Amino acid sequence: MSSLSNPANMSINPRQLTYLFDLLRELIARDLKLRYKRSFLGIAWSLVNPLAQLLVLSFIFSRVLPLNIPNYPSFLFTGLLAWNWFQTSLYAATGSIVDNRELIRKPGFSAMILPIVTVATNFIHYLLALPILLVFLWINGVSLSTTCMALPVIFAVQFLFTLSLSYLVATLHVTFRDTQYLLGIVLLLGFYLSPVFYDPSAIPGRFQMIYRLNPMVVLIDAYRHILLQGQLPGGLELLALSLISAGLLWVSYRIFIRASAQFAEEL
Amino acid sequence: MSESIIVEGLSKRFRRYSADRPWTLQEAVLRSFRGLQTAEYFWALKDVSFRVPAGKMTGLVGRNGAGKSTLLRLVGGVGQPTQGRILTQGRISSLIDLGVGFHPDLTGRENIFITGVISGLTRQEVARRFDLIVGFSELEDFIDSPFRTYSTGMRMRLAFSVAVHTDPDILLIDEVLAVGDMAFQQKCLDRIEAFKHNGCAILLVSHDTSLVEKLCDEALWLNAPEIKAQGPAKLVVQQFVKEMQTETQRRTPSSWRPLQLREGEELRVNENRFGSLEMEITEVRLLNAAGFPATAYESGDAMQVEIHYSAPQEVPGPIFGVTISKEDGFVCYDTSTEADGKLLSKVQGRGKVLLYFERLDLIGGSFYIDVGAYRRDWAYAYDYHWHAYPLEVRPTHGEKGILRPPHRWEV
Repeated sequence: MSSLSNPANMSINPRQLTYLFDLLRELIARDLKLRYKRSFLGIAWSLVNPLAQLLVLSFIFSRVLPLNIPNYPSFLFTGLLAWNWFQTSLYAATGSIVDNRELIRKPGFSAMILPIVTVATNFIHYLLALPILLVFLWINGVSLSTTCMALPVIFAVQFLFTLSLSYLVATLHVTFRDTQYLLGIVLLLGFYLSPVFYDPSAIPGRFQMIYRLNPMVVLIDAYRHILLQGQLPGGLELLALSLISAGLLWVSYRIFIRASAQFAEEL
Repeated sequence: MSESIIVEGLSKRFRRYSADRPWTLQEAVLRSFRGLQTAEYFWALKDVSFRVPAGKMTGLVGRNGAGKSTLLRLVGGVGQPTQGRILTQGRISSLIDLGVGFHPDLTGRENIFITGVISGLTRQEVARRFDLIVGFSELEDFIDSPFRTYSTGMRMRLAFSVAVHTDPDILLIDEVLAVGDMAFQQKCLDRIEAFKHNGCAILLVSHDTSLVEKLCDEALWLNAPEIKAQGPAKLVVQQFVKEMQTETQRRTPSSWRPLQLREGEELRVNENRFGSLEMEITEVRLLNAAGFPATAYESGDAMQVEIHYSAPQEVPGPIFGVTISKEDGFVCYDTSTEADGKLLSKVQGRGKVLLYFERLDLIGGSFYIDVGAYRRDWAYAYDYHWHAYPLEVRPTHGEKGILRPPHRWEV
């Protein structure tokens, strides 16, 4: 009887890994197909939102309230894309459990995959928008340097950080169904508290310490260092952030798993 | 023989929140987090133990809310037991909520991959089985059309087809065998038999007690939260059916105005009429091929049974049944709307259902048509008329028995 296993325990063997990867792939592909199948504009459609934001913000902060930041469109778009990935992932992850009631109640389906699917899907949207950013960089005369090799590291850190928060909001939303609404407010404030459209060095010195506790400050800064200045970002800060994100992920994942035993009943 | 499913002392307690439990953080804060605690607990299952060996099939019977589906999902790993333990060996596949994961805007092909993976196969495994899945569903010509263009029957066929191509060691089935037309249903049943033969352990939930009796080796009669009986399927099902009949008798009102029938007979409760009478069968007519009332037929004639009903209150999904029986109670034929996969939605007010016999291949003699309307889970009858509608089949010379199939001699 030793080979009998409790269905709640998932032993990790090679087939399991392949399976989880395939499940992830199919669920992401489904989201992407649905998004791009129905509109004839296809992928271009998902670029409308960031481009419209870019248009309005760059008009305001270069004509109305000039910030005098060099290569402002590239500067702004770098921040916008990173922020949008974070925001849309978190927002979609909130509903990822509640909106998939049937899947959660299906024997053998592990709910832990759903927040990963949301963050990964939005990462792909981000990647699809990157070529536009390259066009802006080219227009602004910024040439890419070999530091771009470091980009995947920043992607990974942002992925970890976003995922750790996603598990928390998804769990909370099962108990309190207005989480998504409240999150919208928090994200709006977060947008202003992150250096999406302004330079973080404009923050007065005595606030800098507190200001840089916001992980999005570190991340957006890192993207700009790499893409705009061709420099490697501060390693220590990033290392600290990845450790904190990993720790946070461990905690929030455990909270999620603990609560997930009740999901089928609460939905 | 190895055991595939072992359930030992399983109990499951659910919580029930108070009706005004706050569902938003805003409300919760306003009420300083009162009402978030569980108002009360109730036991859905208590001390349930059983084993299903590989290659055997166990049926779960019981009324609605008896804990059958809860038990099935727990075995599938959805939710955790409050007490006791569940051990399973091998890959679990389920025929529960068919159609989960299917998306109307994607093609049949895309949906097969997504739901195949959701059901536990890797992409490669789905690809290898793809032709088998499509072949089984008989949807070769539509596989690249969007799922939303499929009829309900086609959707169910595809969903079933994906689900039965997952090579499970354990299969959990909840009320989904009535898929598609009769030919497809038979195919599904054959498939289930094949699973069993190949050593798959099957747990079946069904309201169709005859199906449980026919397919299962053992049965478990759940009567929330405990097990009421368990053992060989035949015995358990018989006990359950008997209890259901008793339940009907218990619910039959002690007095009710007699219903005058056309033929001068009278229907009197507890004599030839049983049921809770929440819904009444007001008239039953036997009609010949031309549509005229007739009680005498030649063997091989067509006949229709027209059942008029009246439901003062809304009745969800009643089942109508018709039995042809001999005077001594011997059942010659018995069928129901459920047996033929005709599911009624809720009914209210007056209406009628028709059962059409293309041929009445009975031997000459006196028969009765017994008619009933039952609750959708067969828990009891709403109205059951016993031996109230006589049917005469004109005698033919020199034949005996019950059936008179079309036949000829060649000498």
